[in-house]
Amino acid sequence: MTRGWGIRLVTYLGAMLLAIFILAPLAWVFLSGVLPEASILSFPPDWFQYGLMDANYKYIFTGEIPRGAVATATLRTMISQEVRLVPRAVLNSLVVAFAVMIVNCIVGSLAAYPFARLRFAAKTPIFFIITMSRLIPAVALAIPYYLIVQRLELLDTYWALILIYSVLTLPFTILILTLYFRGLPEEIEEAAQLDGCSPFQTLIRIVVPLALPSLIGTGLFAFMLSYSEFLFGLLITQSIKTRTLPVILSTVSWNPDVTWGLTSASITIGLIPTLLLVVPVWRYMVRGLVAGGVQ
Amino acid sequence: MTVRGRAQRITGSVTFSAYWMIAPAVLLVAAFTLYPYAYALWSSIRVTSPLLPPAFAGLKNYKAVITSIYFLRAVRNTLVFTVASVPITAILGLLTASLFNRRFFGDVVLKALVLLPWAIPLAISGVVWRGFFSSGWGAFNALLYMAGIIPKYIGWLTKPNLAMLVVIAAQIWTQFPFATVLILAAMQAIPEELYEAAAIDGAGPLQRFFHVTLPGIRAMLAIVVIFETLMGLTAFDLPYTLTGGGPGTATTVISYYTWAESFKMLNFGNGAALAVLLAVVSLAMILAIIQFIPKGALIGGEER
Repeated sequence: MTRGWGIRLVTYLGAMLLAIFILAPLAWVFLSGVLPEASILSFPPDWFQYGLMDANYKYIFTGEIPRGAVATATLRTMISQEVRLVPRAVLNSLVVAFAVMIVNCIVGSLAAYPFARLRFAAKTPIFFIITMSRLIPAVALAIPYYLIVQRLELLDTYWALILIYSVLTLPFTILILTLYFRGLPEEIEEAAQLDGCSPFQTLIRIVVPLALPSLIGTGLFAFMLSYSEFLFGLLITQSIKTRTLPVILSTVSWNPDVTWGLTSASITIGLIPTLLLVVPVWRYMVRGLVAGGVQ
Repeated sequence: MTVRGRAQRITGSVTFSAYWMIAPAVLLVAAFTLYPYAYALWSSIRVTSPLLPPAFAGLKNYKAVITSIYFLRAVRNTLVFTVASVPITAILGLLTASLFNRRFFGDVVLKALVLLPWAIPLAISGVVWRGFFSSGWGAFNALLYMAGIIPKYIGWLTKPNLAMLVVIAAQIWTQFPFATVLILAAMQAIPEELYEAAAIDGAGPLQRFFHVTLPGIRAMLAIVVIFETLMGLTAFDLPYTLTGGGPGTATTVISYYTWAESFKMLNFGNGAALAVLLAVVSLAMILAIIQFIPKGALIGGEER
């Protein structure tokens, strides 16, 4: 069975290389967050000479200045208040992303049902315009979006972010939900209609309970897209009242007063929601997409 | 009431339901798609600098943009970036999907891991990669040094060509998981009988791959390539946080250039002209994507 061995060897070798490629940059971040500055900067590199520490995380959450920062930095403090904004930025991102998720579930399923089941004029063109609108590059819309938000007097509010992120995520939600609704058995809905249910009542009473997994999946997906969005966050937010995590992390990372250790700790904190959501999103959404898209 | 009258009444109310149910989504998307487009078009033919009085500019903005040396550089960078990252992303996605198409010890864990780069916000991935490739203390330099491969640290992000290489690698890192998911889905939809028939005909693993798997996923591969091309041509977050377009303009891609022109130089007219050009190219890509989607796959045939 030499051939079987060969395939197995290639499989595990490939799996190992893949794991290294994916994990190496992330591992460095997770590690740097708990390493003293002196270890990170050591040359020749010896990362574990001073052990591990939680000073970076302590500073971000309590403001207690890491001892190493004061002792080693004579010219500048190598510390910035800016990283202490990270927990608030995570909160901002979570609030906005959660609201966008709710909007997506309501507006998205309302729109997806007619596209999936009802006949009306101009259905196909409307569907195409909606679903394809998101493929236009965001930067092309940056100035007009800014001006709309300014005119609505919503600059630096959660509302502006929720509005824009809903527009950005809805097309995809509608696409996936339409595919999923169409895949449901039609007989129950027909029975409901014979009993006198309007399309809206059919949606609420029959379709939504049946499609709940898919609804959760697309909602979570919208959540993740909103949590990740960068360009409009950069544009619309003006203070820590609304600055989202990607925006704060970007400025933190360019701030020369913030050490790599502190930046790493900030990234790690910001990635916790992402890490928690990866598996549920995969289970609910990707499979739904796959099931709907391939048939 | 006649049967036909009743039927008409029901059809009418159903149509009404359909319209009010899609109304919120349609209004939201229209307000934030049609109006912004009209606005971008309008401001692209006008002088809209905060310093100058507004005036009609005709195609001057377009001319200024297209003939600018920075624009040409940004176009070149974008093309290099896209042409290098898209095929590698597709091939890596194909290889990873092939790996996952058979069961092996630990495959579930690895599948979850593969999703990570895709799930992490792009802007944060840029910061992660900047730290990993830092010339002073990046782990990549340290690991190469410890392995004895390089005698001293390399300025990955301070040399123009190397910086472009790192941005391309980072782009592949963030994009190949999605390609994997799509390709794997297509692979798993290939009927098992085809493989069995090929095996009976005496086809080896490689022949089965080229004669059964590859034809089966061709349509999906095309979608992946077009989608990734779109992602490449419009990349913004990653170059912004990984290199800030630098060193110099070495990794300034079109989206970043458009952003800088509008919000750093405050040259809204030029920015809008760039945005319109970008949108036109993307629209062409979108139309290409639609060509590859099987007719009726999205919204169903006329029977409904």
